[in-house]
Amino acid sequence: MSAKKDSFGKTVGVVVAVCLVCSIVVSGAAVGLREIQQENKKLDKQTNILTAAGLYESGMNSDQVASVYDEKIERRFVDLETGEFTEKPGGEGAEYDMYKAAKQSEMSKTVEDSNVGFQRRANVASVWLVKDESDTVTRVILPVHGSGLWALMYGFLAVDADGKTIKELIYYEQAETPGLGGEVQNPNWQKLWDGKKLYDNGEVAIDVTKGADPSDPYEVDALSGATLTSNGVENTIRYWAGEQGFGPFLKNQAWRS
Amino acid sequence: MADTKEMKQVLFGPIMDNNPIALQVLGICSALAITTKLETALVMSLALTTVVAFSNLFISLIRNQIPSSVRIIIQMTIIASLVIVVDQILRAYTYEVSKQLSVFVGLIITNCIVMGRAEAYAMKSPPLLSFLDGIGNGLGYSFILIVIGTIKELFGFGTILGFEILPVVQNGGWYQGNGLLILPFSSFFLIGGMVWFIRTIRPEQVEPKE
Amino acid sequence: MGLKAYLEKIEPNFEPGGKHEKWYALYEAAATIFYTPGKVNKATTHVRDAIDLKRIMILVWMATFPAMFYGMYNIGVQANESIIAGAGTLPDAWQAALFAGLGGELGADAGWASLMFYGACFWLPIYAVTFAVGGFWEVLFASVRKHEVNEGFFVTSVLFALTLPATIPLWQVALGITFGVVIAKEVFGGTGRNFLNPALSGRAFLYFAYPAQISGDQVWVAADGYSGATWLSKAAAGDMDYTNMELWWDSFLGNIAGSAGEVSTLAILLGGLFIIYMRIASWRIVAGVALGVAGFATLLNLIGSDTNAMFAMPAHFHFVIGGLAFAMFFMATDPVSAAFTNKGKWAFGIFIGFMTVLIRVVNPAFPEGVMLAILFTNLWAPLFDYFVAQSNIKRRVARVG
Repeated sequence: MSAKKDSFGKTVGVVVAVCLVCSIVVSGAAVGLREIQQENKKLDKQTNILTAAGLYESGMNSDQVASVYDEKIERRFVDLETGEFTEKPGGEGAEYDMYKAAKQSEMSKTVEDSNVGFQRRANVASVWLVKDESDTVTRVILPVHGSGLWALMYGFLAVDADGKTIKELIYYEQAETPGLGGEVQNPNWQKLWDGKKLYDNGEVAIDVTKGADPSDPYEVDALSGATLTSNGVENTIRYWAGEQGFGPFLKNQAWRS
Repeated sequence: MADTKEMKQVLFGPIMDNNPIALQVLGICSALAITTKLETALVMSLALTTVVAFSNLFISLIRNQIPSSVRIIIQMTIIASLVIVVDQILRAYTYEVSKQLSVFVGLIITNCIVMGRAEAYAMKSPPLLSFLDGIGNGLGYSFILIVIGTIKELFGFGTILGFEILPVVQNGGWYQGNGLLILPFSSFFLIGGMVWFIRTIRPEQVEPKE
Repeated sequence: MGLKAYLEKIEPNFEPGGKHEKWYALYEAAATIFYTPGKVNKATTHVRDAIDLKRIMILVWMATFPAMFYGMYNIGVQANESIIAGAGTLPDAWQAALFAGLGGELGADAGWASLMFYGACFWLPIYAVTFAVGGFWEVLFASVRKHEVNEGFFVTSVLFALTLPATIPLWQVALGITFGVVIAKEVFGGTGRNFLNPALSGRAFLYFAYPAQISGDQVWVAADGYSGATWLSKAAAGDMDYTNMELWWDSFLGNIAGSAGEVSTLAILLGGLFIIYMRIASWRIVAGVALGVAGFATLLNLIGSDTNAMFAMPAHFHFVIGGLAFAMFFMATDPVSAAFTNKGKWAFGIFIGFMTVLIRVVNPAFPEGVMLAILFTNLWAPLFDYFVAQSNIKRRVARVG
């Protein structure tokens, strides 16, 4: 029996059979579930954007999120150099991801004079416009990212239609120390950003500092025990609101035309 | 056919008498990493229990066909396939939790409990008992994860399953969350404490002095 | 009836079978403060020495006095200065109420006695809680395991209390010393079997569990609303002028904010040299740490860095800033958790010095490195000894053939 079990033909046969069955099961699961997974990813992103837009209410189900998103949000593309709207890179049908584009030299440029924590940024950025019933833009949502203490932190900065006032700053992906730097995701801290002014005489003036004065339009209280995360947030805002980031776009207010 | 007493032993033995984490010290890595919140601990427990139970079942079913020269590879293939399926299902139906679990579901493949049970038990036991053995060991693993996840979430964040139990200072309450418990390595102390506790009530688990 | 006769009279009550046998540990602890134990070794090995573990521990305890008293005075000085400067206000805490209630007053003309009294109102409760809670665990384990209360706790408690900021909440003190005594020491079998320094383990627990109350800019001065960067974080921000020797002297003498034990390098030196002179602390470990810090800091000075200001900190500043001096004399030299062999002690010390500078300079998250450096090196101590012993064996085998 055992000699027969271990014969060469039998071994190959069993291995092939097991592999065949396993590969069918695995690919079946992957293909069968792909649609739901992509739905999830999309929903997750839409939820984050709605949160930044101030339109998300807890308990919204996926259909509600999708319908509010379709109704109120418009995705546009901005040439960061000029600050003007531009065509979607790669044409309408293609996927565009500015974080992937930043890795390709012909679609990106080097970051200069900033300790924001990454080397290249894409030439064209996605932005999301929030519109009310009469199709007027009420908020502009800008994707921002920059290094924290341990890794890059990704978030959305929602700016009022005046191009100067912050409405929300939410982070959706970060790996900071839980309880300290991880508090960048605490809604109570995110609330502090509402109403802060980005620019003082044309210069980015946001200052994340300890013991900030809540009435000061430029100061935001730093996270306690997380100096480096707080500095990271400040650098991120300063970079993305500055000349190399969305500065030109926020200045010419292309969404008004 | 095995009698009920043996089945009971196989099913519930691994919880206290022969716990895979506390006695055999297997599967520690994931127990350290994903117990910061009870929810992730629960999902991870469920995922692992499913994988161990079904890998035991399938391996036991074909145990008489598996040539011994390639048995480890065959076990790995079956376990890996199950893990991928479980991972895909989690991503499809519990997106938020699967984001937090990240690579740790995939790493069930390397979890010593799964391989250990397949090699030590399923290769020489009938399918039903193997299946129960898988569930039992999964329960033993879950028991530790749930206790640790509860302690860590309650005293680290002041919540259980996201519901606020102890209002924390950051949100205007009085409870100062313990930052050590939020860090993965605090599970070392907690698992150590549980080993101490289990061995105090079950002194027969203490290794004889060398 | 004399004290000795009284102690001897009540002793049978505490021996096995006596009516208070459970309290033997407490009896023994009290009795041996006054008299050496009557027990003698019955086997052939016999050491005659006037100094025993309890005397050693009391000497170390006394050696912390200069740092302790200066530390209390300095808590008062720092709080007073910040209040006079208008940077802070008298804290709304019971310690400050106690100070005022007993007739203490701060102000520009406050004398050293009232400043020290203010510091004592903050530091002594920390020490008292450490002693009471840690002592409770010691006695509990001693009673359950039926051995004597170990005097090592005397030292552990004072060292632990000296490393804490004056404003730390007392319940955190209690949790910290509980962790230090129970997890770092008693689970391994008690004094002599722990491989980590219990005082530092307790502090490390607090450091990770409640970082907001034990690190940062607001905790070191006992005045409300005051915020001042520690010198280490100033150095990390590149705000230190290393050519200004006045800064160095300030730090050496202890005119800076910090935990009670760490501020005055001079006071630490007094106590530290005393225990080295008494042959309690190993001079090899202390010299090793000094060598490691000086060597690696100088190397980093030479390498230099544009983005990391800490690279520029010269060695003589490393010694006087932060907790390095205190830890070097009192923590690293803990005989239980350090290496035992002479060569091993050198390696142990140098490694601590190297790690301290490495963490201080290169790790962005932890401004002070000496605590983690010592705990980390504690783990290596047996390995250092192992290599020393092995090379010794090899050498002797080669010689004998």
